[in-house]
Amino acid sequence: MVIGEDLLLRKRDLLGVLERVCEGLELTDTQFRLAKERYQAVGAWLADASSPVLRTLAIYLQGSTAIGTTVKPINGDEYDVDLVAHIAGLGSAFTPASVKKAIGDRLRASGHYAALLQEMARCWRLNYAHEFHLDITPSIPNPACRAGGELVPDKTVKEWCPSNPKGYKVLFERRATLTPRLRILEGAVEKRLRADIEPYPISRGPKGILRRTVQILKRHRDHHFAELDSCLAPISVIITTLASRSYEHCASNIVYDSEFDLLCDIIRYMPNYIGVGTTDDGRRQWFIWNETTTAENFAEKWNADSQRATAFYNWHARALAHIQSLPNIEGLDRLTKSLRESFGTAPADRALAGLTADISSARARGILSVAPVVGLRIGQSPGTTAVRPNTFYGKE
Amino acid sequence: MWSPRRPVLTAAQQYAILKASAICTGNGTLKPGRLSWRFEASPSPLSRRYSVRIDYRQGATPLVFVDRPDLVELSAGRRLPHVYAQKPPRLCLYLPSSAEWAAEMRIDQTIVPWTILWLYYFEEWLDSNEWKGGGVHPKESD
Repeated sequence: MVIGEDLLLRKRDLLGVLERVCEGLELTDTQFRLAKERYQAVGAWLADASSPVLRTLAIYLQGSTAIGTTVKPINGDEYDVDLVAHIAGLGSAFTPASVKKAIGDRLRASGHYAALLQEMARCWRLNYAHEFHLDITPSIPNPACRAGGELVPDKTVKEWCPSNPKGYKVLFERRATLTPRLRILEGAVEKRLRADIEPYPISRGPKGILRRTVQILKRHRDHHFAELDSCLAPISVIITTLASRSYEHCASNIVYDSEFDLLCDIIRYMPNYIGVGTTDDGRRQWFIWNETTTAENFAEKWNADSQRATAFYNWHARALAHIQSLPNIEGLDRLTKSLRESFGTAPADRALAGLTADISSARARGILSVAPVVGLRIGQSPGTTAVRPNTFYGKE
Repeated sequence: MWSPRRPVLTAAQQYAILKASAICTGNGTLKPGRLSWRFEASPSPLSRRYSVRIDYRQGATPLVFVDRPDLVELSAGRRLPHVYAQKPPRLCLYLPSSAEWAAEMRIDQTIVPWTILWLYYFEEWLDSNEWKGGGVHPKESD
């Protein structure tokens, strides 16, 4: 028995369990298709308006739904689906309030949308009960941005401020496709186990490790701040930006034994991408720049309330410590308990139940086996022992 | 179609087979007509490691015990499912007087994988309080 093998196997399985946690939290394909149908219909309705303001309107996804990092909200069951209603033909002579109003008026003109409509500070929300809500934020071109950025209302809806949802998505997706460097297992024992120690199942999956990392962290944040002041929680774009920059660094510069070690490093290096400065009067300032446009600091609110920065660093340390401690846990029951403490009851329960359902289904289909070192394994191959049909009995 | 019954495996044969098996590497003792085999097993990489002991008298039911960790302690006051006795816990792995186990069968291909499967469902039960491995209790069937 080599300890290293045990640990590699455990880390591989841990990542599998974390992926199950994420799968239970994200929009399903069916929900995604439904959301897409609905926002395309809204887009068509808006663009079909007689209002000259809306004539060149096009609607598209931004945020977590656009980049595949959705996480079910911890309270309530409606996902946020963030949309941009971009009006290519408008200049900044139109005030944010007037553009927002034009969109609201058009939505109210439909009995269907009027019933779902809710006004938010910077956007319009269409509430589809128990499914998701569509948040529609107006946007116009930003001629000053060389990267093709846009302008969106600030939170007072008085000024236009720079943003670049499309550019952000392109950059995130480019980083997500980077292939991490993982050590190829060598040696006789490793060869025997290679089929069992697939070191990077997630990187090869459709989501990839970066999206999973973002989802894990967002859920950890939601759970962490549920018992604290949730207003202090770092916004998702901060987590996403820091994780994607850290991932680019890790994937490009470091060779890993396991994807789990990569996950820990992505989290560990996130704070390196926060710029810290001091104002003339000695106050600390934080900068997490949107790399795809100029002058959008995602950490802007931290500079108005430094408690937000403190809350970020405290949460980050907790999240890293928790994820790093997972390989020390022995026992499916203890692991599930630990996941429950960090991610909540439902996703932890679902992950364990899914694991067991796979084992039980393989057993019923006669394809469950026992492999040396590994334990139960789905599928049979030379060197494994089939689990023959049995009926557990017992006087107790 | 008539087929010849396979011969009963002797305790010495079972012992040699257990010794050679890669899924229950361990050690034991062999005496005339009976054996005792101890090994470490884990149902999954996320699970604990359990010290398992199989006591077998040729032709009788193999007795399976988990020596460590203490299952009773782990179950924190709940009664262990699918055991013949609570202390020391002796696992009930197959339906007696069925064809699931017979003395012609190799212990490493039957009792050992079933023990590992039992341990998986045990850990799941520790958390969910639900035995998901199926099975029967004599009260239901007798």
